Amino acid sequence: MTAPSRDRTVAATAGEPVVTPSVAARLPGRSLLRLGPLSLQIRRRSVLVAAVLVVLLAVAFVLSLSLGTPYVAPADVLHALSGAGTPYDLVVLDLRLPRVVLAAVAGAAFGVAGTLIQSVARNPLASPDVIGITQGAGLAATVALTSGAAAVVVAPAALAGGLVAAVVVLALGARHGLAAQRFVLAGVAVAFALRALTEIVMITAEAIDGQRAQIWLVGTLAGKGWAEAAWIGGALLVLLPVLAWAGWALNSSALDDDTARGIGLRPVARRIGLAGAGVLVAAMVTAQVGAVDFVALVAPQVARRLVRSERPPLVCAALLGALLLVLADLAGRRLFAPTQLPAGVLTAAIGGPYLMYLLLRGRKRSS
Amino acid sequence: MTTLLSRPVEAGHRTGARSGRRIAVTVAAALVLLLTVLASFALGSRQLPVDQVWHALVSPDGGEASTIVRELRLPRTALGLVVGVALAVAGVLLQALTRNPLAEPRILGISAGASFGVVLAISVFGVSTLAGYVWFGIGGAFLAGLLVFAVAARTREGASPVTLALVGAALDASLGSVVYALLSTDVHTFESYRFWVVGGLTGRDLSVAVQVLPFLLAGLVLAALVARGLDALALGDDVARGLGNRIGLVRLGGGVAAVLLTGAAVAAAGPIAFVGLAVPHLARALVGADHRWTLAVSALLGPALLLGADIVGRLVDPPSEVPAGIITALIGAPLLAILVRRAKVVTA
Repeated sequence: MTAPSRDRTVAATAGEPVVTPSVAARLPGRSLLRLGPLSLQIRRRSVLVAAVLVVLLAVAFVLSLSLGTPYVAPADVLHALSGAGTPYDLVVLDLRLPRVVLAAVAGAAFGVAGTLIQSVARNPLASPDVIGITQGAGLAATVALTSGAAAVVVAPAALAGGLVAAVVVLALGARHGLAAQRFVLAGVAVAFALRALTEIVMITAEAIDGQRAQIWLVGTLAGKGWAEAAWIGGALLVLLPVLAWAGWALNSSALDDDTARGIGLRPVARRIGLAGAGVLVAAMVTAQVGAVDFVALVAPQVARRLVRSERPPLVCAALLGALLLVLADLAGRRLFAPTQLPAGVLTAAIGGPYLMYLLLRGRKRSS
Repeated sequence: MTTLLSRPVEAGHRTGARSGRRIAVTVAAALVLLLTVLASFALGSRQLPVDQVWHALVSPDGGEASTIVRELRLPRTALGLVVGVALAVAGVLLQALTRNPLAEPRILGISAGASFGVVLAISVFGVSTLAGYVWFGIGGAFLAGLLVFAVAARTREGASPVTLALVGAALDASLGSVVYALLSTDVHTFESYRFWVVGGLTGRDLSVAVQVLPFLLAGLVLAALVARGLDALALGDDVARGLGNRIGLVRLGGGVAAVLLTGAAVAAAGPIAFVGLAVPHLARALVGADHRWTLAVSALLGPALLLGADIVGRLVDPPSEVPAGIITALIGAPLLAILVRRAKVVTA
């Protein structure tokens, strides 16, 4: 959203080079990568931002492994990570590492989901946790958790819940277009109702199931680790071809429908594909770590500002999401120690003001 | 003129048959409320026949029925009455003052401000009496209201219904998580306020309802005083001024009333959502846009809705209970979705 009116004129030209790469080589700030029949234009700034984010993520990762009781010096953390067999192996590798890896993977997944859905809706507010998709996944997962269903059922149930919620929100709010804030508000209403339903399910459940669901619902990483990270990572891996395609397709999703059709694209089919992938990832990650609010909202938009691009960049948003969630989880663990705050509380506390900031910035948008 | 057209019901304002209908509706609303109050005494995990309820209220004999009625159901019914009136009237005031059909204490983030104030008072300042923290609730409601309007007014669309609601939702989410953080650092407070955070009528004794009463009365008197001014305000600032209204005074009075009512209601029962949204719309559909009637009918239907939600919450899965705030959210959220869909909503 930085200097939008200028970006908008860039967008008109930025879409074209995807089809005619020879033009792209001449665009400022971009390089062209050719691998046989494949050609990819790369924004140099995106690469730089991604590199910086990777470094920051690594630092946050090590910090997260080293802080806590007992404190483990970063050097020892690295030593333990290298598999040398230190006395800190138990704390670092067995207790902390699974959780931190989960935070990174889940954060990345939230970033990806947010990017996909926001890009399709062309609306920075239309992130899965604001418009009720996360809450739909939450309701379905709570029902599965409290009805004594097998653990295997929880993730598919959450997926179905997220998809159903997305369809409901679309049916309710799409009348005036996805870009309108009215669509977002319809989503907020759906989110409200779904959260109320979830709470009813929790209260009426057996006490122990209810407590399990309550903990799950706040969005915490405590007591979770490899299993959950594997589910999310697996989902991302399975979706990798789709995501790779999305990274390319997003370039043109910022075009208006007529222009897109004019250069031979099928905008509607592509939008359904992108949004479907976004909902899938969002539901998947929510099923595993619960409703960690606002990462999917914040990561794509901040990444977009860092990269200074017209649309949220997929890779940088994923990295930023990972960084955000690792930091939120670390802050939640250490801020009021020994009391642990769920990461979801931290992200919501940051995300709410950021949402307001987005609304404030909105007035400068040209469209 | 556009604002006039965007009001839901304005036609038929002058017809004589209208006032007869309004009286009938008001009487019916009062009857509904009476029945709900009776049901609130009689229904629950232990059903009591009406004559036993009556007996327990008039001449308590210390038996089981009279203990249930007087110790458990009387306090929550009284609290439901007080809070229901407060929230519904606050909703009417906010919708009229902002000319915004989506205005509601919870949606605008005012309830979130109030609960933040209350939790701050409890966990940081160690205030433990309602008489003490109700002021924090009112202060929080006031500041949150100011913040939401200031932010919304600076957005691209201005303080339109949709932006106000979005800013309110953002504030609700972030303050809600801060409240959770404050509460969860203190296990003792967390246990006693876990249900308060959701909004409900359980576990309060009669003194809570009594202590909130003065704030309710002050808010109601103010609301009654500005009712005519709100009618004029619906026609737009210029027309209202031309008709001889002091709109600054009307806004101030209405705003103070809304903040008093919301702050007190939240301090007593937690941030119960959507009573302030649903009831004013229902009242307007029944008696039109004349605010004296809308306020009166809302004050009757508000507690009826809240007590109804409380009763449903008791009956869903006895003996455990679903807090009334969850039931009202379930009823109110679809209404919000319908209102958002309607083309009329967007004015700015």
